Amino acid sequence: MFKFLLKGILRDHHRSLFPIVIVVLGVSLTVLAHCWINGILGDMIDFNAKYSTGHVKIVTNGYEDNMDQMPVELALGNVDELLAKVRKDYPKMEWVERIRFGGLIDAPDNKGETRAQGPALGLAVDLLSPDTKEVERLNINKSIVRGKSPEKNGEILISDELADKLKVIPGQIVTLMTSTMYGSMAMQNYIVSGTIKFGVTAMDKGAMILDITDAKYVMDMQDEVSEILGYFSNGIYNNVSATTVQNRFNAAYKDSTGEFAPVMLKLRDQNELASMLDYISRMISIFISVFVLAMSIVLWNAGLLGGLRRYGEMGLRLAIGEFKGRVYRSLIYESVIVGFIGSAIGTIIGLGAAFYLQEVGLDFSDLMQNATVLWPGVFRAKITLPAYYIGFIPGLISTVIGTMLSGIGIYKRQTAQLFKELET
Amino acid sequence: MFFRKVIITIIVLFSNQVFAQDISANEILKKIDANLSADNQVISSKMVIHGKRGDRTVESKSWTEGTEKSFTEYLAPARDKGTKMLKLGDQLWMYSPGTDRTIQISGHMLRQSVMGSDLSYEDMMEDDKLHEVYDAVIAGRDTLENTVCWILELTATEKDLAYPKRKLWADQKRFIPLREELYAKSGTLLKRIDFKDVRSIDGRWYPTRMIFKDVLKEGQGTEFIVDDITFNQDIPAYIFSKASLKK
Amino acid sequence: MGAGLRTWLNVLVLSFSFVIIIWHRGILDGWNHQAEVDTINWEIGGGIYWHEKYDPYDPFTLTDSHGPVPYQLKKEINAGNLEPILISQATIYPDGHMQTVLLKGIDPEQMILALPTAPLDTMINEIPAVIGTRMAKSIKLKTGDYMTVRWRDVNGVFDAADIRIVGVFKTNVPSVDNGQIWLPLDRLQKMMQMPDEATIIVAAKEVSEPILTSSWEFKDHDFLLSDLTEMIRSKSIGGSIMYIILLLLAMLAIFDTQVLSIFRRQREIGTHMALGMTRGQVIRLFTVEGAMHGILAALIAAIYGIPFLYWQSVAGLSMPAGTDDMGMAVAEKILPVYSVGLVISTTLIVLIVVTIVSFLPTRRIAKMNPTEAIKGKVI
Repeated sequence: MFKFLLKGILRDHHRSLFPIVIVVLGVSLTVLAHCWINGILGDMIDFNAKYSTGHVKIVTNGYEDNMDQMPVELALGNVDELLAKVRKDYPKMEWVERIRFGGLIDAPDNKGETRAQGPALGLAVDLLSPDTKEVERLNINKSIVRGKSPEKNGEILISDELADKLKVIPGQIVTLMTSTMYGSMAMQNYIVSGTIKFGVTAMDKGAMILDITDAKYVMDMQDEVSEILGYFSNGIYNNVSATTVQNRFNAAYKDSTGEFAPVMLKLRDQNELASMLDYISRMISIFISVFVLAMSIVLWNAGLLGGLRRYGEMGLRLAIGEFKGRVYRSLIYESVIVGFIGSAIGTIIGLGAAFYLQEVGLDFSDLMQNATVLWPGVFRAKITLPAYYIGFIPGLISTVIGTMLSGIGIYKRQTAQLFKELET
Repeated sequence: MFFRKVIITIIVLFSNQVFAQDISANEILKKIDANLSADNQVISSKMVIHGKRGDRTVESKSWTEGTEKSFTEYLAPARDKGTKMLKLGDQLWMYSPGTDRTIQISGHMLRQSVMGSDLSYEDMMEDDKLHEVYDAVIAGRDTLENTVCWILELTATEKDLAYPKRKLWADQKRFIPLREELYAKSGTLLKRIDFKDVRSIDGRWYPTRMIFKDVLKEGQGTEFIVDDITFNQDIPAYIFSKASLKK
Repeated sequence: MGAGLRTWLNVLVLSFSFVIIIWHRGILDGWNHQAEVDTINWEIGGGIYWHEKYDPYDPFTLTDSHGPVPYQLKKEINAGNLEPILISQATIYPDGHMQTVLLKGIDPEQMILALPTAPLDTMINEIPAVIGTRMAKSIKLKTGDYMTVRWRDVNGVFDAADIRIVGVFKTNVPSVDNGQIWLPLDRLQKMMQMPDEATIIVAAKEVSEPILTSSWEFKDHDFLLSDLTEMIRSKSIGGSIMYIILLLLAMLAIFDTQVLSIFRRQREIGTHMALGMTRGQVIRLFTVEGAMHGILAALIAAIYGIPFLYWQSVAGLSMPAGTDDMGMAVAEKILPVYSVGLVISTTLIVLIVVTIVSFLPTRRIAKMNPTEAIKGKVI
């Protein structure tokens, strides 16, 4: 029966082509819409992940309690060992070191005395390793307003606004004043290699980015760092995987207690992102259900169309003695096959398009005044698990429902009448 | 020699006993000030800071003149060696040899902790003579470390003092504080300073170990140990200039 | 038009597309504007008079950035159109760690901001305070708890007192929550020895002509919302892709129904041609008819869409408030925002697209043989 119907579908283009094309189009649009809305609504989450929370993050117990204050004295110890361990245990994830700290940036006059100063928010990342992905992750190169990204130790980026406030231009020297991990005062000179725009006023007012080795040096850290961030290789936060990694890690360290014991946090538990994530998933489900509803109407129409075209055929089949029920059922089976084939092809096409938009993205940065760390100007789709099956909902169900409704005609009309439609 | 010393001690003790009965609180305060302050002083000291990551000892040498001028050079640990601090009035500058920069510490920064200790720059800078800015009354008697003390209650006579109330345990014989408590306007205890290892230096009594504790904060406080102190020296004027920071 | 039920079905489908596109966009814009709306309700009202030295990003300027409420603004304050807020720095010691916080004094009876300040209007020995859920979590306090706060008054004199948390609120605006404690204005003024002084003065409604005073500057929405404006601008670019996808969907619907209607009416087409209409005329007829569907759909969409969209814009789309064991839950909902431009452009674009899409399948007509068409055997 299945084989027979399949052959029919494959060989009779009248039966198959148009409905399948409609289903394919509808399904691929649904899948694409899903991925796209996931991408654009998730950008705040993305920014948080890249800038501060990671997908998971390892800190000390004490640091976790006071995270807002960026307490460097509560930094993680034995970082090399810890990094080696997580890199071995979770090889598919990427692990990076970060230090966040507060300080004062001071610009000198020609006698080396204070000319201007301002509070600064420091972010230390791996800028200089040959294979570092941090520069790209933080969209540093595109966000630079003047000058260039640091190329060697001793060079830093400061926010463009801070540079203006201190009247500093790239190439000039500023002094960072902060405290070491042990509480001593620390002062260090840096060359401002460039200025950067973050897109968040708080950071634009006075943030600086420097290489992690420079920060370790000034803060008297050897094998310490305040945070280790982990990222999934596809760049997408997945709460289930994050929870698994988190539980496994924390179970391994459940015996170490005290302020300096390492603890893993996942993105969802930080920066109030849980409610944001819930909000987004709720928005997505609303959008997608509306979209699926609309798509269902379209595909139902297509199913109807498919049924109506074939009244003549039905008449003939009834005339040669098939039961109405059997004809009706065969129609439904057929529509299931059509819906399935269409949904499968549509999902593949939709995913393909979404994949392109995820990897390459649409670059609108020309439309925007200037790209910033927060708003890179490139919009990306995001493929999540539901994208693989969501298309089947409108694709399969509405095609079948459409056929069911149009098929009712078979019961309503007399065989003779249907047959007559064949004649005309 | 021994005999002379005993006699002096007896005389001192006796005279103290005599005065002790009817001396006014403000006079006690004046005597304490006379013990603790001088026209100028040069101190070599250690500061032991109990931090989260272990204890640190910071060694420094300070030159102080009156209440307005002070110059400090840090000697150890290696990381802090050569760092200098100059205070003139209400202005403060830091110099670090590593950067060869002189940075002005202003406004809010003065309220930050010095080198991770329980003292702020402001605490370090504040050294008004107590009797000039506080009015004292004897509130009671107490015995601290086998020493009989008055408990003085100090109320600020000027409205812009950081601590409007203090309690001071004054040694009845040596006229030095053995303990000081600093209170908020509301009466909440904020900081406690214990004075220990009192020694006689240049004819005056001086506590050579002080323990500062921010009582609202957890931790063991900060210890300040005087290794050497000299009074009324000839301190060249250039010490208290920005130029000396770079030397 | 005679097709009856089928026409109406098509029109209905099309009208759905209309309403959905507008609603969808409205929700997306509404979601984008949500932060703006929240910020206005919770933080900035209709704009803020800043003390000239106030810099929200440099808390250390707070020691200087306060002053007596200017007499020019007094009348407006008494009328409830302006709300003075005093901001000072203080230190708290959660778990024995020193932490710097902002104390913000506000009139407990204020109605301008969404902050639930009413609980502050209470007679207790301690200083009553309300905090946001983020702050509550960070310093591990809940309603009824006490905490010692240390501050320095206008003269730099240390003072300390216990505060008691009388309420915890939940807000989407972290900038009225993170690191700050809200107290009754008169208490804070007394604590700081700053009688009748303020740091900022929030306006209830947008002020077109701010009252000029020597040491206060008026900051309007353009200034205060610039971060969000930038965000919305960037987001709406991304959102417009959604618009295109939805349009494609509408196109598919129209294309589909048009194909259906041409199929159903082959005999009619054949008859038209047999009766002497040129193909062009027939194509025009069908295209116009298709476009008519569009207009009709717009009308139908207006009939049920306007009440629906209006209802949505008033009632909002409710979001499940995350279960939060602490804090007064605030109904979370998104109010869609429909701009006139959005409605007009959607209508125009849909109509143009309908016309084009109606035209495309009719090209088949051009290929039709009238006799075959009459027989209904073409497609």
